[in-house]
Amino acid sequence: MANIRIEHVYKHYGKEKHPVVKDFNLDIRDKEFIVFVGPSGCGKSTMLRMIAGLEEITEGGIYIDDQLVNHLPPKDRDISMVFQNYALYPNLSVFENIAFGLRMRKLPKYEIELAVKKASRILEIESYLSRKPRQLSGGQRQRVALGRAIVRNPKLFLMDEPLSNLDAKLRVTMRMEIIKLHQDLKTTFIYVTHDQAEAMTMADRIVVMRDGIIQQIDTPERIYSLPSNTFVAGFIGSPQINLIEGRIQANARGDLEFVTSRLRIAIHEANAELLRKHERVDRTVLLGIRPENISLEALFSDAVITGKYRFTELMGADRFIYLDIGQEQLLSARVSPSVRFEPGASVRLGIDSLKTLFFHPDTGERFAD
Amino acid sequence: MNVLLRNSIRRFTLPRLLFVVVMLLFAVFMLLPIVFIVSHAFKPYDELFVYPPEFIVRRPTTQNFIELAQITSGSIIPISRYLFNSILISAATVLLTTIISAMCGYALAKQPFPGRKILFATIVLMLMFAPEVVQIPRYLVVSGLGLMNTYPGHILPLLALPVGVFLLKQFMEQIPNALLEAARIDGATEFGLFLKIAVPVCMPAVATVAILSFQNSWSNLETSSYFMQDDYMKTFPYFLSTLTSNLANNVARQGAAAVATLIVLAPNLIFFIILQRRVIDTMVHSGIK
Repeated sequence: MANIRIEHVYKHYGKEKHPVVKDFNLDIRDKEFIVFVGPSGCGKSTMLRMIAGLEEITEGGIYIDDQLVNHLPPKDRDISMVFQNYALYPNLSVFENIAFGLRMRKLPKYEIELAVKKASRILEIESYLSRKPRQLSGGQRQRVALGRAIVRNPKLFLMDEPLSNLDAKLRVTMRMEIIKLHQDLKTTFIYVTHDQAEAMTMADRIVVMRDGIIQQIDTPERIYSLPSNTFVAGFIGSPQINLIEGRIQANARGDLEFVTSRLRIAIHEANAELLRKHERVDRTVLLGIRPENISLEALFSDAVITGKYRFTELMGADRFIYLDIGQEQLLSARVSPSVRFEPGASVRLGIDSLKTLFFHPDTGERFAD
Repeated sequence: MNVLLRNSIRRFTLPRLLFVVVMLLFAVFMLLPIVFIVSHAFKPYDELFVYPPEFIVRRPTTQNFIELAQITSGSIIPISRYLFNSILISAATVLLTTIISAMCGYALAKQPFPGRKILFATIVLMLMFAPEVVQIPRYLVVSGLGLMNTYPGHILPLLALPVGVFLLKQFMEQIPNALLEAARIDGATEFGLFLKIAVPVCMPAVATVAILSFQNSWSNLETSSYFMQDDYMKTFPYFLSTLTSNLANNVARQGAAAVATLIVLAPNLIFFIILQRRVIDTMVHSGIK
């Protein structure tokens, strides 16, 4: 049970000019599952390590349950952490690995035994308690690492890319197990990953980071549908969101249109109001539209886009097609898997104009209400 | 089973076979001195001096052992005293050297402190010095500290083992930081990290340092010759060196000397064989990804 408050945290390494983490502010509620996500080198792991106490804080404060923990050593923070490479003690058996933290805290023998048994039952690793880590597979090792984390009943769980060493199938299984673990343990989790799928599936709230700066903190749904800038929009979602540069113009009837050299797309009334408010008429903007909002089904709408078919990616339930619309990047769209096109064919697709997003062409910020 | 056998035969290609043969010959060659020493100890006098010398004993006898016992029973200081000194000094040296080297290696590898690089460079530099170079300063230090004729006078000069520090530092650098961090979060103290994680993980290197240190101290003659004036403080290798020296002819006591050589060699061999298993076992299954 823990509320965590992170206030204006900075991290500088040595004499380097640019901070690794810059003005990080976050309030984490009790029992929340928070995911830090971002490309490698964005400072997410450093931030996690500062919360753990493994890294010193250059500036700012971290509070666990309103207690300032800046100078508290890791062992006194009542936290546990799961590492990317599991960090199991190779010289100790699985039982001893899980019991290590309890032994260090000098718990009576019977309590240790009970706690280890309980943790191993939850994670279904009872049958190999006497084995050494080297005799386990990657997935089993990860379970032991989780066992070592949960056995102490800490206030806060920290996980640093725990699934990135596992193969794709196992990763999905373990992802679900961690979600289940969070539901069962009812404890605060902070989870670091560079995998947007993990962030989207597990988090109560996602913190998207880039170059040490928080880009957006929000629920997965809102991060996906209302990204604060082009970076977040591009980082979350696969295939990536389509970004098209063009001008906003009013037509003869006074309705706003998005215009490029080859396209003319009608803008939905709700968005038109927004663009007028931000004074973007007769100026350039970036239009963002996710592949699933461009489709053959939306052809009845007044926002139609035509492009030359290039190639396709079949995902099983969906097929993504890539069209050349005279922009630098190809436009991706989701269609039914049964639809096929000839290479070079001209394809007309409809855009769900209510789902279009508009970004500032220079700053990349989304125009919001 | 058949397939397995066929596969293992197929794996023996000609270059591989040649390699194995060469290595086997090499191993036999390295083994020769040991075979000679063991066999020598059981040779009767006439065989000891046969020319050309023969490797394997023809008529083994225990006569040399009896001779050694007779020589020592006649002297004021019994052989057991020399052995006791040697065992005590070697045990203390191995224990202390291993602890000191491991602690030093751990600090150099995992505890950043100012001047760490210079300190390590100095230790590596020590590797260059031949023992003879430091003999006089060492004498002055031991005498200045008033350690003449004491056990610390034997032990102290052998404690600093630059090779050991170097080896353990290199090994401990390989320990993933995450392992130590995990233990730190689990509540281990810095000394706990060293004792419960770093040392067990680096067991092969620790065992190697123990072997090196044992060899260094068990066969050491220097401390007995220079720092000990009283005979009862001297060690077994010193006793061995006196067996045949200072005698009018070079035939007498050769049998006893052969046995004494075996006694010096045996612990070295046993110690190595015991620890070698541990070394290989830990090396193979380090379990770190």
